[in-house]
Amino acid sequence: MHSTTTQYVASRRMGLYEPMHPIGMWGDFKGNGCPNASASTILQVETNLDNQSEDTSHGTLGTPSKYDQEASKPVDKVLRRLAQNREAARKSRLRKKAYVQQLENSRLRLVQLEQELDRARQQGLYAAGGLDISQLTCSGALNSGSAAFEVEYGRWVEEQNRQVNELRNALHSHMSEEELRLLVDGGINHYFDLFRMKETAAKADVFYLMSGMWKTCVERLFLWIGGFRPSDLLKILSQHIQPLSDEQVLNVYHLTHACQQAEDALSQGMDKLHQFLAESVCRAQLREVNYPQMEAAIENLEALERFVKQADHLRQATLQQMSGILTIRQSARGLLAMGEYFERLRTLSSLWTKRNSEPA
Amino acid sequence: MQEALPYKTWLPMPRKESLLSLSIGKATSNGNSASSFHYLKSSKAELKDTIKENAVIVFGKRGCCMSHVVKRLLQGLGVNPPVYEVDDEDENEVIKELERINGGGGDDKDRGRVQFPAVFIGGQLFGGLDRIMATHITGELTPILKKAGALWL
Repeated sequence: MHSTTTQYVASRRMGLYEPMHPIGMWGDFKGNGCPNASASTILQVETNLDNQSEDTSHGTLGTPSKYDQEASKPVDKVLRRLAQNREAARKSRLRKKAYVQQLENSRLRLVQLEQELDRARQQGLYAAGGLDISQLTCSGALNSGSAAFEVEYGRWVEEQNRQVNELRNALHSHMSEEELRLLVDGGINHYFDLFRMKETAAKADVFYLMSGMWKTCVERLFLWIGGFRPSDLLKILSQHIQPLSDEQVLNVYHLTHACQQAEDALSQGMDKLHQFLAESVCRAQLREVNYPQMEAAIENLEALERFVKQADHLRQATLQQMSGILTIRQSARGLLAMGEYFERLRTLSSLWTKRNSEPA
Repeated sequence: MQEALPYKTWLPMPRKESLLSLSIGKATSNGNSASSFHYLKSSKAELKDTIKENAVIVFGKRGCCMSHVVKRLLQGLGVNPPVYEVDDEDENEVIKELERINGGGGDDKDRGRVQFPAVFIGGQLFGGLDRIMATHITGELTPILKKAGALWL
């Protein structure tokens, strides 16, 4: 306590070694005839008090009042608060430094990984031998095309989240229609980018794409021919685009109906593929050199790539058609709803994964 | 005539002389009444007639699931298209014939080239699965089918 310090200081200068009551001390100063000592101690005390920059400490020279005692209490608190603040700021700076260091390290690592990936892709390595790619992908992507897709998709998701945030802010801030149109077009084109990426990935390894291992676990639950169901999409959208004009209601109804029909046709085609495949495998005689029945089976498998392509075309066409029916603002709300929905699915997946990895 | 069986084995079978007309009725597994033909090498003229006679007709390779998708989609719209199943060995011939019927692939490469499954509407080559799906989603397909007389509603 500062008052205590002043007491001691005073005591030392005066040659006394007993802590004295401050009021009494002042009283003694005034009373006895040690002006020099008292003056110097008073000066010492004053400078100490001055350091606190408290108004009550100024002008206490020679005033032996109980105000000093009370003034020193809030002074103490303030001093303590300032000290704690300094401490907190110091800790915060240290934490920030550590975080930045971590970021830098991660960035370096990312650059390294990308370089490895490029090298591997150029050499056409398969992960069976290459440790690099298997370190890169934890989901069993078995060739460099799939590994590359997974990296690209990771970036796509980050960009998607950024766009969703931008849309949210734009809708709350009542942006102009022209600016909103830019965001909407960007959002739709971003989905088209994904479909392009998927087409390349399907050529590399259609089974990887269809397994959905590049998605999170909950998203995988809803998987339909390598992606989301277009009819699910329309259900999500329809809840967030009200109110609709009569004409819009009709158009959306027709679109939903057409989409469902196309989806059913594709699903039935897939069932047929299963059937044909099972039959050709049943009939295949492995002892034959040419495996003609296996060739038939392989043709069926090649059809998978076309199925994924058709499914993605359907997703794209549905999005396009919907954006034609809706106004810009409705489209923005719809895109936001979609983005948030998928984001929530991903969050749910990570919650589930954490929950499962925790010790019981 | 060859048997119009839906799941023909790949082992070469001797062509049977007897026509199993029942097989045309139950050419597809789910009991729907889409009829199914097989291409005969000697019936190029028949091919042309078949296309002209039917408002909608689908040409597809046997064992191809994509033509199944086209068929299902059209059936969902209320159209019952005959499906012409083509053997592997006849594939190139049929394609050439279809292209010739359509008016040759010289000037307009994309439209002239035929890929399976191929859909003819109103005697004209309409396109493949891509075009069917795209026009279906935009809502253009139904009026086209109505105009060709494949739908009445």
